[in-house]
Amino acid sequence: MGRIIRGYAEGDEITPLVKEMTQEAINLFEGSAGNTGPSQFTDEHAAREVLGTEGTVASGRMSLTFAIEMLRRHFGAEVFNHTGTVDLRFLRPVRPGDTITFTGKVTGTSKEANGSRVLVAIEVKNQKGDTTGVGQGSAIVPTAFLPPED
Amino acid sequence: MAEVDNRTQLDWDALEVGETFDKFEYLLTQEMIDTYRKGVMDPEASFATIAHKVDVRQYNNKYTDAGSVNARCAFYCYNPPIAGKRLTVTAWIADKYLRRGKNYIVTEAVSVDEDGRLIDRVITHELKQPSEVGKKWGG
Repeated sequence: MGRIIRGYAEGDEITPLVKEMTQEAINLFEGSAGNTGPSQFTDEHAAREVLGTEGTVASGRMSLTFAIEMLRRHFGAEVFNHTGTVDLRFLRPVRPGDTITFTGKVTGTSKEANGSRVLVAIEVKNQKGDTTGVGQGSAIVPTAFLPPED
Repeated sequence: MAEVDNRTQLDWDALEVGETFDKFEYLLTQEMIDTYRKGVMDPEASFATIAHKVDVRQYNNKYTDAGSVNARCAFYCYNPPIAGKRLTVTAWIADKYLRRGKNYIVTEAVSVDEDGRLIDRVITHELKQPSEVGKKWGG
């Protein structure tokens, strides 16, 4: 298991993650769980019927997955895949053709029984600069992975 | 012959917080994981369970409604699922609320694999008036 040995301070920025949404990606995401029938995610008619939109939208769970990826890359899979959390509110639809950028900033740390919980504010914007999602994430970094305290 | 839909029409007022659904089991295959990773463009994506939307699956098997829009979703990672293992999901109605005249339902689910490994927990807030998306954001 690799050690991180990195301090976390309020204001630290997470490396952004950029994703280009396509209908093919949406279809694969939905199809991976066997959801192959027409839905607001995969079929324009269904989207019009259910949502009243002109075209399909991506499931918010895809944005959730991307936020998880950004934090996993930052904290490392060994840490994030066992202690990570993401809580995301979806403010605007993400559609095929959108480029969405995830950013994160450390907002604080707190001691836990098994390490330090690092809190991260998350924001998601599309290519127009509109915010499509906001939320927060966290991971508990084991004390052994952190620089020694003075 | 068309299948009979035996689901119950949702009565939001009558829906009880704490209602727990029948357990749901499924086999997570390597193909599912590979397809999920292609879809999210991340070859290391670990929680293919996210795409299965297991927190609302049993709700949707029991109730019929006008559809929904995901307004908020929280995910807790415990252990990445392993291909070829059966997963058991326990899901329940965690909360419901009315905001700006719109109805929301909060579902929660915990997944455990056949070896007893805790996999993940997901909490989803669904807006039960999905046409609001078109009204607000249009085409």
